[in-house]
Amino acid sequence: MTHQHDSRTKKENRAAPKFSLDAWAVTLALVLSILVWIGWIKHIPW
Amino acid sequence: MASSIALLHSRPLGSFKRIAQILPGLLLLAAVGYAGKSLERSFAAFGKAHHLTLPNIEYVLWAIVIGLVIANTTGVPASFKPGVATYEFWLKAGIVLLGSRFLLGDVLKLGGISLVLVAIEIALSLLFMTALGRAFGLKPKLTTLLAVGSSICGVSAIIATKGAIDADDEDSSFAIAAILALGAIALFIFPLVGHWLGMSDQAYGLWAGLGIDNTAEVTAAGALYSDAAAKVAVLAKTARNAMIGFVVLGYALHWARKEGTEGVANKAAFLWAKFPKFVLGFLVISAVATAHVFSKDQLTSLANLSRWAFLLTFAGVGLRTNIAEMRKQGLRPFVVGALGEVAIAFLTLGLVFGAEKLLR
Repeated sequence: MTHQHDSRTKKENRAAPKFSLDAWAVTLALVLSILVWIGWIKHIPW
Repeated sequence: MASSIALLHSRPLGSFKRIAQILPGLLLLAAVGYAGKSLERSFAAFGKAHHLTLPNIEYVLWAIVIGLVIANTTGVPASFKPGVATYEFWLKAGIVLLGSRFLLGDVLKLGGISLVLVAIEIALSLLFMTALGRAFGLKPKLTTLLAVGSSICGVSAIIATKGAIDADDEDSSFAIAAILALGAIALFIFPLVGHWLGMSDQAYGLWAGLGIDNTAEVTAAGALYSDAAAKVAVLAKTARNAMIGFVVLGYALHWARKEGTEGVANKAAFLWAKFPKFVLGFLVISAVATAHVFSKDQLTSLANLSRWAFLLTFAGVGLRTNIAEMRKQGLRPFVVGALGEVAIAFLTLGLVFGAEKLLR
C-alpha cells in the first residue's frame, strides 16, 4: 500500500510541470528584452 | 490551448523531439501570418496602381481569414496541430513585450479604471449567465463553465474552473466550443459597431477588453480597429485575466460545499497557482520602460517583437476555428452563450460610456 502510494506520488511529482505556459512566455519575453537592451539584437523591423 | 500546455509539459519527450513536433505547425503559423502581412501591402498597392478606392484591410484580418479558410477546407493536418496550438504562448509573450509601450502610471490609471469596470462586469455577467443557464435547463456545471468563460477569460477560465469544480469533459468541450464560436463572431462584429458608434480608440479598446472573451480575439478585435485601441484592449483584458483566480476559487468553494467534498485547503496557494503570470511580466517590462532603461530605438524593436508574436497569434485564431466541429456541439449551450454575450456587450458598452469621462 505504502509502496503503491509512493510510486503514485513519484509519478505525480514527475508529471508536475516545473514551468507553466505563462512562465515560459514571460521568460522568453524577458530574455528578448535583455538581448535588445544589451545590444545583441540591434533592430527588429516590421 | 490545452494541447500547447500539454506539449510544453510533456517531460518524457526529449527537447529535440518536442521542437520537431512543434516545428511544422509553427512554420504554418508564420507562413499564414506573413501571407496576411504581404496581402495587406499587395492589396493597398493594387488599389493605388489602378486608382481604385479599396478599403484598408489590415494584416490581422487577412491572417485570420486565411487561417479560417485552411481550417475549414483542407483542415489542419494532425502533425501541424501541436505547433498551431502554440499561438497562445506567442500571445502571452506578445502581451509581456507590449508592456514596453506603456508607462506604469498609465497602466495603473487605466488598469485601475478597468479593474473597477471588470469587477462590475464579472458580477453582473455571472448572475445573468447563471439565470440564463437555469432558464434553458442546462446542467449546473455547464452553466458555471459558460458563466466563467463569458465573464472572465474564455478558454483559460473554463479549463481552470473545470479542474477546480470537477466538471465533465463533455461540459467543458461544450463550453469551450460555444465561447470560441462566439469569440470568433465578436471579433468581426465589435469593430463594425465601434466604427458605427464613432467610438474613440480608448473607449473601443476598453469595450473590446471587457466584452470579448478570449485574449487572442480581444487583441485581434483591438488591432482591427487601431493600434492604440489594441493597446487599451489588451490592458483591459489583462486586468480581467488577473481576476481569474478569485472567481475560480469562489466556484471551487461553492461546489465543494454543495457536493460535500473537500474544499480548497490553502487559498493563497490556490490563488497564486491560478494567477496568470504573464500579467506580472507585463508589469515588469512596463516598469523597466518607465524607468527609461530602453532607448527609443530599443522600444521600437520591442514593440515590433510584440507585433511579430501577435502575428503568429492571429494566424492561430483562424487555424483553430473549425466551424464543423463547433456545429457538432449542439445548439443550446451556443444559444445561452450568444444571449449572454449580447447582454454582456450591451452592459460593457454602457459601462464604457459611463467611464469615458474618467478617461479624458
